Amino acid sequence: MNKDKIFKLAKGFRGRAKNCIRIARERVEKALQYSYRDRRNKKRDMRSLWIERINAGARLHGVNYGNFMHGLMKENIHLNRKVLSELSMHEPYSFKALVDISRKSFPGNKVPKKEGLSTIL
Amino acid sequence: MACRRCLASLTRHFRSRFLSNAALENPQTLIFRALGPRTLRGPLLNSFDSPAGFGGIDSLQFNITRHLSSRPTNPSDEEEEDEEEGGESCEEEGGEAQASRCVVQRGKSEEEKIKEASEIGYKVTGPLDPSENPFKPYEPVFAVVQIGSHQFKVSNGDSIFTERLKFCEVNDKLILNRVLMLGSKTQTIIGRPVLPDAAVNAVVEEHALDAKVIIFKKKRRKNYRRTKGHRQELTKLRITDIQGIGKSANVATNA
Repeated sequence: MNKDKIFKLAKGFRGRAKNCIRIARERVEKALQYSYRDRRNKKRDMRSLWIERINAGARLHGVNYGNFMHGLMKENIHLNRKVLSELSMHEPYSFKALVDISRKSFPGNKVPKKEGLSTIL
Repeated sequence: MACRRCLASLTRHFRSRFLSNAALENPQTLIFRALGPRTLRGPLLNSFDSPAGFGGIDSLQFNITRHLSSRPTNPSDEEEEDEEEGGESCEEEGGEAQASRCVVQRGKSEEEKIKEASEIGYKVTGPLDPSENPFKPYEPVFAVVQIGSHQFKVSNGDSIFTERLKFCEVNDKLILNRVLMLGSKTQTIIGRPVLPDAAVNAVVEEHALDAKVIIFKKKRRKNYRRTKGHRQELTKLRITDIQGIGKSANVATNA
């Protein structure tokens, strides 16, 4: 019974690790350990992905991430990074409104000279 | 795992794009066809077969298993879900219809305390669905809502997986009153931190268990190995309405 479970978990493994029980057992145990560790890492990775996206979206409007978040905290806006990254991707006008609020509350950056396409935004 | 939540958010994006392009009567025609011979839960579960098609079968299966996994409702209670606390003496209760029940009962305290506990999760349980149809076609309005410690960007017709919400059954209407932001095509309203007049209506679609994760711990060369399975309890909500923003306003202002 246990062997069947091991082989079921070993689907897609490379070489003998999906067919031979001795090798499969080792690889499956390693895979389960990795998944335990990575369930914790996934939360960190997602947060840093959201921060990258917020940074990119805010820099389009001339504010970097640190000043943007500081301005939001000062204005008592409690949107978390997950939602902010979704807004920066899918709701550009709302995100620009947030950037304007943040810049008004904490003017840390000079507005850069806009060239080309960014003059339209 | 978050796999069900990820799938739900993926189909949500595709569905919102699909339904906005396609004819808006599609959900309603499906609902009207389904209302006739089916039970009360039928139209709610069968009307939202997403284009990916994953909602129908799963929801039917969970419909069957719900009878096994959810706690049994107390048939001697009234229509609302009042639960009296075990160990409370009869003197504390109102004594109107409950004076005869001095026996120890399971569950939390009275109606007011249930509502207070609901406020912690930022929802207010409205009345049950009396075979009306609260679902509307898609509108291009979004709200950012907070439930517990999780925030969601929702729109009309979305489905959300949250942590198991305690005081509601399937087909309950909920009002999520912790709304952090509203947006439409012409307006954006940002709360600091909450918008007091905004509300998001939702219906509980199912109480489900997440996919099983295996918790495996091992210390090498020390003869230590532990295996455990875990299924997180979730609630699936379907967002029906967003209130607090003018949806077809032509004024371009930012609040």
